[in-house]
Amino acid sequence: MSILKVENLSKKIGKKEILRDVNFEVNAGDILAFIGPNGAGKTTTIKCILGLQKLTSGKITINGYDIKKDFVKAILKVGSIVEAPEAYMYLSGYDNLLLDKNYYKNIKEEEIMRVVKLVGLENRIYDKVSKYSLGMRQRLGIARSLLNNPNLLILDEPTNGLDPEGIKDLRELMIKLAHDGIGIVISSHNLSELENFCNKVCIISQGRVLSLKSIDDLKKIDQAKYLVRVDDVKKIKKYLTKEDKIVNDTLIEVIKDEQEIASFIKELAVTDALIYEVKREDLTLEEAFINIAGGKKID
Amino acid sequence: MTNLIKSEMKKIFHKKSFYIVTIIFVLYAILTNVIYKSIDDFSINDPEVTIEELEKENSRLDLNVKENLDKYVTNLSNIEIKKMEDTYKNGEYLINKYVFPLVYQANLLEYMEKDLEESNIVRTKIDEYLNKIKDNDWKYFASMRMSELKNISNEDKDEKTDIYIKLTEYRIKNNIPYDEDNYLNNALIDVENNLSEYYNLKNKKTSKEEQERLDYLKEEMLVNKYILEHQKDIKNNESLKGVLSNFASEFGLFILIYVIMLSGSIVSEEYNKGTIKNLLTKPFKRRTILTSKLLTVLILMPIIILIMVLIEIIVGGLILGFDSLNIPILIYNSSTSLLEVYNVFKYLILSLISNIPIYLVLGIICFMLSTITASTSAAITITFLFYLMSNVISNLALVYNLKIFKYFVALHWDFSYLLESTPNPYHFTPSFSLIIIGIYLIVILALTYIFFDKKDVKNI
Ligand SMILES: Nc1ncnc2c1ncn2[C@@H]1O[C@H](COP(=O)(O)OP(=O)(O)OP(=O)(O)O)[C@@H](O)[C@H]1O
Ligand SMILES: [Mg+2]
Repeated sequence: MSILKVENLSKKIGKKEILRDVNFEVNAGDILAFIGPNGAGKTTTIKCILGLQKLTSGKITINGYDIKKDFVKAILKVGSIVEAPEAYMYLSGYDNLLLDKNYYKNIKEEEIMRVVKLVGLENRIYDKVSKYSLGMRQRLGIARSLLNNPNLLILDEPTNGLDPEGIKDLRELMIKLAHDGIGIVISSHNLSELENFCNKVCIISQGRVLSLKSIDDLKKIDQAKYLVRVDDVKKIKKYLTKEDKIVNDTLIEVIKDEQEIASFIKELAVTDALIYEVKREDLTLEEAFINIAGGKKID
Repeated sequence: MTNLIKSEMKKIFHKKSFYIVTIIFVLYAILTNVIYKSIDDFSINDPEVTIEELEKENSRLDLNVKENLDKYVTNLSNIEIKKMEDTYKNGEYLINKYVFPLVYQANLLEYMEKDLEESNIVRTKIDEYLNKIKDNDWKYFASMRMSELKNISNEDKDEKTDIYIKLTEYRIKNNIPYDEDNYLNNALIDVENNLSEYYNLKNKKTSKEEQERLDYLKEEMLVNKYILEHQKDIKNNESLKGVLSNFASEFGLFILIYVIMLSGSIVSEEYNKGTIKNLLTKPFKRRTILTSKLLTVLILMPIIILIMVLIEIIVGGLILGFDSLNIPILIYNSSTSLLEVYNVFKYLILSLISNIPIYLVLGIICFMLSTITASTSAAITITFLFYLMSNVISNLALVYNLKIFKYFVALHWDFSYLLESTPNPYHFTPSFSLIIIGIYLIVILALTYIFFDKKDVKNI
């Protein structure tokens, strides 16, 4: 079931084109990793989805409601953190949650403690937010975004400020929520943080979607990274392509599938170069992506 | 919507700045009341010539010149009178009214006529008076005054004589000594002193200045009459009643500070702190959120004023006492020549209401700036500057009778003239002023709503 649908989203601020033809979809149970370097347009996309910025053109639908026409209904079951997790510093964490609770009908006060426990903040929840660390504020932000039992969760760089323990907790929480049928969008500039629990990856750079793939598709890729150590790289230089990387005078790095590496080694064998070692390494998702996206660097 | 407003209130009542201003207000209120209590100590007495100065002047006079002798006698009499005043602290009025003419006469006889014998006869009379003053026998002077009045021959009698007689009867009947700390005595003396000027002006064609003076005297007469009839110390403003009747002018600046502080931060602070993102992703239309903030300001405005009044009543009551609260406030209506009598609280409420448009317009302007600039300091500063500029413009418009400012809101927003029963200084009718204010409010709010609806939330 489609929860979030972004169609041909474009955004201009002044003359500057910040987003162009962004398309993606999030279904129930999806965890979409929204990846891009600084300034790619992740936050802008998220703000457009949440109605914080107006679309220049395109259409965004949440739970079947167009956000331009039915904003109130569209946003009702959305939880979000945008950029930093802001809160009213002069109130306690609990009071912040209480304020949020009052914006929704039919949320009981017990719900507050439920989400507080989910993020493990129960010991400090009655302290003023001004006394929280960044990681604790991030946890409070996640708790706030969960308070209205959302079926779409949009988190902009939620790992910011979290310790490894926090990231692990977040990962488990996301997996559980997705399992319960919530659609999740998590942005980050670092795919490796998300790769072992997201099921879709959307890479964005300079306002355009470079690639949108499911993890399963990625896993099917049988390419791997091979490190080849020879006595002198110069001797084999003419067999290298643009994508292959020369690490130093004796080491090269190539990305190929099994067929390709076999014939590559055959080629090298007839030269006068001495091959000391060929080492296979699995690609990280990120490297696979760069490869798919045509070698463009994203960070 | 009520939930939204409740949330806004909760945020405001958790802010430190709100309490800091309130504490400053309490201190300011204490100070103001103390000043009211000690108005007497602060009032500058007319710079009187001292005895030493008079003596010095006399020693320099060449007594062979005729005019100098006159001066010498006058100074001498003044010196004597001053000495008497110093000796008989409460007798000032009687000494000046009854003893001074005798002292002058005695000195004239002694130094001009050189008739010591006659002078001494007068001096025995002076001693007699002084003894009565010393014994506090004010009734002696009252009955003397009474018989004087009764002895006026029929053809010299007029309206005034009847009034003088009534005043003296009142004094005797109600046991009112000639004591300047006694407000009834002061009212009696005021009437006596003003009466003949009043009748003179009343019975002739008056110039513009004389008309103003006459209006003033009329008001004085009516107020003093009210004081004597109701035996209420109306004119005493060194009291809680005095502070409350000037509430808007004493504490208006604080009301303004509260209003501007609230309306200037309620929207912009959410932008500054980034919390606007939480707020705008809640299931409400943007205009609902803005309306809740606007209503919060509008609801808090009277509540804050009420709290300020309560604080002032408690602080002022503790410092000045609560008794004055049952003394009414009198307003003279010059067009009907009648006094209007207000209960203190009624007057206070009416005077605050007549000032509400000022706070409302400035509050809404600040609210707009807060929304458009998303900067609390800009909103507050610009609103204050606008307020200062408005005062300058309204003064200029008044002094130079400038017509181009006819539609400028600051010329319309003060309705206190209605309460004071004076004409509008710019000759506007109240309904015209209300329409102008209404138009300003509608335009400003429309701009604010349109802007807020369109505004993108920028990066923080
Ligand atoms: N108000 C604005 N006016 C002009 N340009 C803007 C504005 N807001 C954002 N941009 C530009 O839009 C682009 C995308 O910004 P955005 O904040 O969406 O990036 P991001 O992907 O979230 O980056 P990061 O990883 O640093 O958070 C940037 O180039 C930025 O300079
Ligand atoms: Mg960002």
